[in-house]
Amino acid sequence: MSTLLSRRRFLELTGLAGLGAAAAGTVAGCSSGPPSGAATWSMWSSSAAEKKVWDDFGKYVEQQLDVKSVATLTPSNGYPTKLDLQLVSGTASLVTALNGTLIPTYAARGAHRPLDDLIAADPDFKLDDFYETSQRISSFNGKTYAIGFDVAPTVMYYNKDLLTTQGIPLPSRTEPMSWATFRDLCKQLTKPGQQYGFTCAPAIDDLVSWIYCAGGNVMSDDGGRSTLGDPEAMEALQYVIDLFVKDKVTPPIKNLVTESSLSNFMQGNVAFMQNGPWQVVNARKAKFDWDIIPFPAGSAGSKPRVSGSSFAIPSGVRDGAELDLAWKLMKTLTSTGALDIYAKAGRNNPARLSAGSAFQPPPDNLGIVQEILAGKLAGGHAFDVTTNWNQVKQLLGQDLPRTFLGQVTVPDAINGLTPRLDILMRQHLDTVRQATARKG
Amino acid sequence: MAVDTAPAVTTPAPSQQSLKPTPRWRSREALTAWLFILPSLIGFLIFTAGPVVAAGVISLLNWNLFSAPTWAGLHNFARLGPDPTFWSALGNTAYFTLVSVPLTILVSLALALLLNQGVRRVAVLRSLLLLPYATITVAVAFVWIWLYIPHDGLVNAVLGWFGINGPEWLISDNWAMPALILMSVWKSFGFGMVVFLAGLQAIPQQLYEAGRVDGTSPWNSFRHITLPMLSPALFFVIVTSVIGSFQVFDQALIMTNGGPGTRTTTLVMYIYRTGFENYDQGYAAAQSLVLFAFIVVITAGQFLFQRRLVHYDN
Repeated sequence: MSTLLSRRRFLELTGLAGLGAAAAGTVAGCSSGPPSGAATWSMWSSSAAEKKVWDDFGKYVEQQLDVKSVATLTPSNGYPTKLDLQLVSGTASLVTALNGTLIPTYAARGAHRPLDDLIAADPDFKLDDFYETSQRISSFNGKTYAIGFDVAPTVMYYNKDLLTTQGIPLPSRTEPMSWATFRDLCKQLTKPGQQYGFTCAPAIDDLVSWIYCAGGNVMSDDGGRSTLGDPEAMEALQYVIDLFVKDKVTPPIKNLVTESSLSNFMQGNVAFMQNGPWQVVNARKAKFDWDIIPFPAGSAGSKPRVSGSSFAIPSGVRDGAELDLAWKLMKTLTSTGALDIYAKAGRNNPARLSAGSAFQPPPDNLGIVQEILAGKLAGGHAFDVTTNWNQVKQLLGQDLPRTFLGQVTVPDAINGLTPRLDILMRQHLDTVRQATARKG
Repeated sequence: MAVDTAPAVTTPAPSQQSLKPTPRWRSREALTAWLFILPSLIGFLIFTAGPVVAAGVISLLNWNLFSAPTWAGLHNFARLGPDPTFWSALGNTAYFTLVSVPLTILVSLALALLLNQGVRRVAVLRSLLLLPYATITVAVAFVWIWLYIPHDGLVNAVLGWFGINGPEWLISDNWAMPALILMSVWKSFGFGMVVFLAGLQAIPQQLYEAGRVDGTSPWNSFRHITLPMLSPALFFVIVTSVIGSFQVFDQALIMTNGGPGTRTTTLVMYIYRTGFENYDQGYAAAQSLVLFAFIVVITAGQFLFQRRLVHYDN
């Protein structure tokens, strides 16, 4: 038997269905959070391989703590924005991953809590087992705000096949070559249009290693003024820009967004690539033999930047059982056992001395990263940043890349940027003062 | 003899007189209409009007998201004056709008006119031409980065066939913005084309037939029949395109990241960076309100012009 609906009845039913759907959505929305007592943590993840590592971390957490692990994974480029919104809305995880360059920014804004009290009250936790540079990266204003899970110096990758074919002796695996030697080698290895000596990203993140090696820095020791105009930094900037513009030993820049030193190197026609050991996992796909060596030494030696990432506890996690669980989770995520998982996946160098090596051959020069971090070979310089590093980086990202294109000279670019950089540095000092006062 | 020609008036019965007529807004049709409009209205109030009001309040505060906000008054608006990046971003956005909107409309109109000439397989062609508009901007932007590669890219290769040495598109001071505009025109002409095609197909053929009888040339026929009859569609496309252009963001972020220098930094990109990378919510809100004001003024101006230039057939 068929029933015809009147228009009015149809409208009533439509309205009721709509209300029902809205109510169901509301109920579902209210119950979509993690289960009570779960170990929640946030991390960036941009590939299936990365996700696999974090899934293994989750299993390890459940095994160790006997609670449910709930990881919020977000692609790396959207991670800081999502974390900000979660922190402000009070929906952040108990433990959140932070890139080292942003730790002072979050700490100064009071978004994360210092961990010194928790470390002091826990005899089982030994901060000494973490590389010194990882501890520096994870600190702000004399306090520890995070515990590292990876840390690594910039190294120089090189194409062994290319050098061998050219009849050039392979560089020392332990002694950094001088800048002059490096430039000569790059020139020797360059055949315009076919083959190039060197590649790096046209950005401050890569320039800063050369600046440290020349004895300079981006900012003064107190962070109160820009020092890019100082002779040491200028020498380094000019050296690298000359490799691009004057010596032309680098592949031509195609655009300023997707320009990637790794993709240049992987084509097999570039002799040297400046990059971090976190690219080892990708460089293994190369169809040529390669290795890594210490970063070329400037007048201050081989002191490339050391970068890393850490876990931190949001300041919204205050006390009691919640803080207790957060600290236990933090210890588990940065434990030797968890970092061994990280090492076996070869993602990057673990931040703990007691964790295993992240690297299996290739590269042949195994252990170089750990030796640099332990201070036994060449050296490294923790990446110094300000509490408004995003703004500093943004400003440097405006005109500095144009020097790589030869559109602006290095002195012109730095002279143009310095007044605005100095304003940002002064704002940074104010922020540090306010953060110090807030702590009482 | 006087004839009573007054219309017959139906006098309501006493019982009917006591009943007040139902106001139009309470009629069943009106209530039904409100019921259907309600979800949209709620969405508008929560997701559009609400944020605009919130931006108004936030623009009067200093707020880094975490610390308690402090009162700033009009300071955030005063900061706009001496901020070179803001003016540069505004200039770039105006440049983008002034060039991309007319170009997009010209291309859309030309293609719509072509498809309206009884082209075979018009549905297939229309779908193909609409594809760029239906594709995600992010994906398109990455493809265009590849097309714009200075030495090996397809764009310069095609120019090379004509003996033209193409520029270094995305890294050139002078060509980065035109490169973005070219990509945006390609991406968005499909929308205008569909609207114009619908408008063209609604024009009564009798008008053209009358024109032919009078010996009107094709150009005069286009000028005096097609354009006036198409003016409502043209107006709609211009208004939506201008608003969309002022909000350009994703293609600039992906293809040039605002560079070289600040040559392609758009206003929305600068607002995003100020608010979510520099954590300066008050200043970002002030910039958003200024952008909002620009769009309102320009749109209002277009509506004023509409009275003189748009022809409605009713």
